[in-house]
Amino acid sequence: MTKDITQKPLLELKKLTISYRSRSQTRPVLRNVDLSLRHGEILGLIGESGAGKSTVGNAIIGLLAPEFVQTSGSILFKGRALEAMDEQERDALRCRRIAAIFQDHTMSLDPLMSIGAQLTEAIRAACPDLSGKQTRGRSIELLTRVGIESPRERYHSYPHQLSGGQRQRVVIAIALSGTPDIIVADEPTSALDATIQKQILQLLRELVAETGVSIILVTHDMGVISEIADTVVVMRDGNVVEQGSTATLLDHPVEPYTRDLLAAVPRLRISSGKRADPAFAGANNASGDDDEEPAKRAAILVVSGVTKAFGRTSFGWSRKPRKLALQDISLELEPGAITGVVGESGSGKSTLGRIIAGLEIACEGEIVIDGAHVDVTRRRQPGGMLGRVQMIFQDPAMSLNPRLPIGDTLAESVRFGSAPSMDERLAINVIMDRLGLPLTFLTRYPHQLSGGQKQRVCIARALLAKPRIIIADEPTSALDVSVQAEIVELLGQAVSQDGISMLFISHDLALVQALCSSIYIFQNGSVVDGGSPEFIFGRSTNAYTRCLIDARPERFTI
Amino acid sequence: MSTDFIETLRRRMPTGSIPISKALLGTYILVALAAPIIAPQNPYDLLQIRGWEASAAPGTIGGDGYIYWLGTDGLGRDIVSTILYGLRISLLVSIVSTAIAALVGVTAGVVAAYFGGWVDALVMRIVDLQLSLPTILVALIAIVTLGPGIDRIILAIIIVQWATYARVTRAVALSEIGKSYLDAVRLLRLPKRRILLRHVMPNSIAPALTLIPIELGHAIALEATLSFLGLGVPIDKPSLGSTVAAGFQYLMTGQYWISLFPGLALLGLIAAINFVGEDTRSKLDPRSRSL
Repeated sequence: MTKDITQKPLLELKKLTISYRSRSQTRPVLRNVDLSLRHGEILGLIGESGAGKSTVGNAIIGLLAPEFVQTSGSILFKGRALEAMDEQERDALRCRRIAAIFQDHTMSLDPLMSIGAQLTEAIRAACPDLSGKQTRGRSIELLTRVGIESPRERYHSYPHQLSGGQRQRVVIAIALSGTPDIIVADEPTSALDATIQKQILQLLRELVAETGVSIILVTHDMGVISEIADTVVVMRDGNVVEQGSTATLLDHPVEPYTRDLLAAVPRLRISSGKRADPAFAGANNASGDDDEEPAKRAAILVVSGVTKAFGRTSFGWSRKPRKLALQDISLELEPGAITGVVGESGSGKSTLGRIIAGLEIACEGEIVIDGAHVDVTRRRQPGGMLGRVQMIFQDPAMSLNPRLPIGDTLAESVRFGSAPSMDERLAINVIMDRLGLPLTFLTRYPHQLSGGQKQRVCIARALLAKPRIIIADEPTSALDVSVQAEIVELLGQAVSQDGISMLFISHDLALVQALCSSIYIFQNGSVVDGGSPEFIFGRSTNAYTRCLIDARPERFTI
Repeated sequence: MSTDFIETLRRRMPTGSIPISKALLGTYILVALAAPIIAPQNPYDLLQIRGWEASAAPGTIGGDGYIYWLGTDGLGRDIVSTILYGLRISLLVSIVSTAIAALVGVTAGVVAAYFGGWVDALVMRIVDLQLSLPTILVALIAIVTLGPGIDRIILAIIIVQWATYARVTRAVALSEIGKSYLDAVRLLRLPKRRILLRHVMPNSIAPALTLIPIELGHAIALEATLSFLGLGVPIDKPSLGSTVAAGFQYLMTGQYWISLFPGLALLGLIAAINFVGEDTRSKLDPRSRSL
């Protein structure tokens, strides 16, 4: 952060106002946005959904949809206004000097072209006078630079042969191909696991130090900002709320909105762990066979030896190697408590949730719910788990029937749940009130509600069916941070008031720590670590657990 | 009667053709409904037919002073009346068959998608088989097997058309079934019928609805084609298609009016339905709205 403050800004936005224009209305989406970016600076643009942060990014790259019109203000590149240039000059400038990285690494690469060919194409566009050999050399150089191992072999790989993190590295290499002055990175790590995110952020940091490129980092994640940004611009509803250097802004936020935003970020507490937990003592030395330990209370759910493999079709003629999605999983759920399952994408945590709910079958294993044995290898078992287990899903936009009013969805839950109530209306009203949902919502349709409201309705639906167990599969991942906190609180209340047990599936360690009384860590389909939060975050010596904890942004770790 | 021709025509028509088509289609429907009141003659009533005035040229003044504006056919039936009554048959056959075909197809598509496995395989292979054959061939096989009659024609058109609805609906239903609201419903152990009718079907039906107006035009053309080939409605209940067919033998002797005027009426009807149908489809389909 030892930047020359007197240096002239590389890019400036002056009172930039952009409006969305449709036939019926003109609505401003950005209002008088001022910001400036210096050489070699990482500027973080943070805000919740609808704040206009991506619009700022797109306005700079020149990727605004035609309905978005710059109504006033200007974008200055090295002191020259972009709108004063002719179109050719502006396009050339954007092509050579400004590059972009997008969120979805699966979409930003052409699936039918090898990564080498895509990189070569980008280099040719930027420096047409290089020879074929030089271009290739430069591609290999860039791949090496972004940390792709054995770049010569990888040069011929196709995007699907790479992991998410590697793909995002290739996207960064392509962005660097023209040696740009500015990279606009729109949520570059949001689709990646925490450990990979950390590596990518580190790479961006190194690139800035080495090449002097400036980065505009659009994100919703305070953690990302705290890790690498030099300056932060907080946005809300198309306005800049507050801006300043990262250290000052995070430590001494002035605006109430910034303070709320910071307060809503879940924090991981690392205690030195003085209290020994008898239930899980020694669970760490063996690999996950902690079901041997005597539980404190009779468990409401006992999962033992669940194994699931993918890669066979129903006709049995696809002889692909079987990929184990779950390998001999055993875990227990205490009644009236929240148990956390943590893992990165592909660790099998969601699959396990679906098997427990009875939505999928396993190859082997047994589940005992409330004393009743359930054969998880057979589909549609009469009197199975369906009904006793309810789920809350990740994406509230897809969890409600778009063509049914909220009231009808909830009524169905009462009528077909495990304890049909005589007075549907009353049951619904009580729960709506408890979850802070106005009764007027009953006649509304899902698309008329915000994401957080929809997720509350989903919680209401799950509770109204009077289940014994609720499985919450990443229930807050699709929500803004401020909403996330409310939902977590509601889930905690639901468990303590109704005596329900909950399996909370998440990738967010801080959330799991705040909610759960015991935690299982999943990696590649097996349980690698388990225990109380004190144990996991304090004393666990498991390498993977440590790795997950280290991937957390330090600022939000206490 | 080729719908390809109509489609080419539609693409080249100026935008003003939509209101004209709507007015035309409205007139057709009104006239068909009012046929028993406004038609000068009931062509189904043998007592009203004057055999001695057969094949009269347009404009001939009949025995009772009535002017045959469009002439009479080979049996002495007034062409104006035959067109009005024929319209009723054409519209009835096409509307009923399209409605039932849509219902059957949507149900089959939803059921195939929801149950998967062999049910899906069976339904979709039948659909594939049927869509791989020309529609007229499928219709001919159906009619030959079922025998003649209006109800058989309707059945034949349903057999031809359900497959398109089934395929379109299955694709949408599959993507809906992947969404978590259907998982939530399964967790509630709702009866299957309720899941299908209340949750899957309403969310998968939109693309099938956009097909209906177009298929309606196809149904009319198909009915006319079958009638023209002599496999359609019985001769004593002439539809537009069979009237055209009946007049065919008189063309050689210069009695053009028996085929020409019903043919023109048919052309106008199919064109109007296609224009209005395409317009409705593009309004219902959110994807084409943005284009």
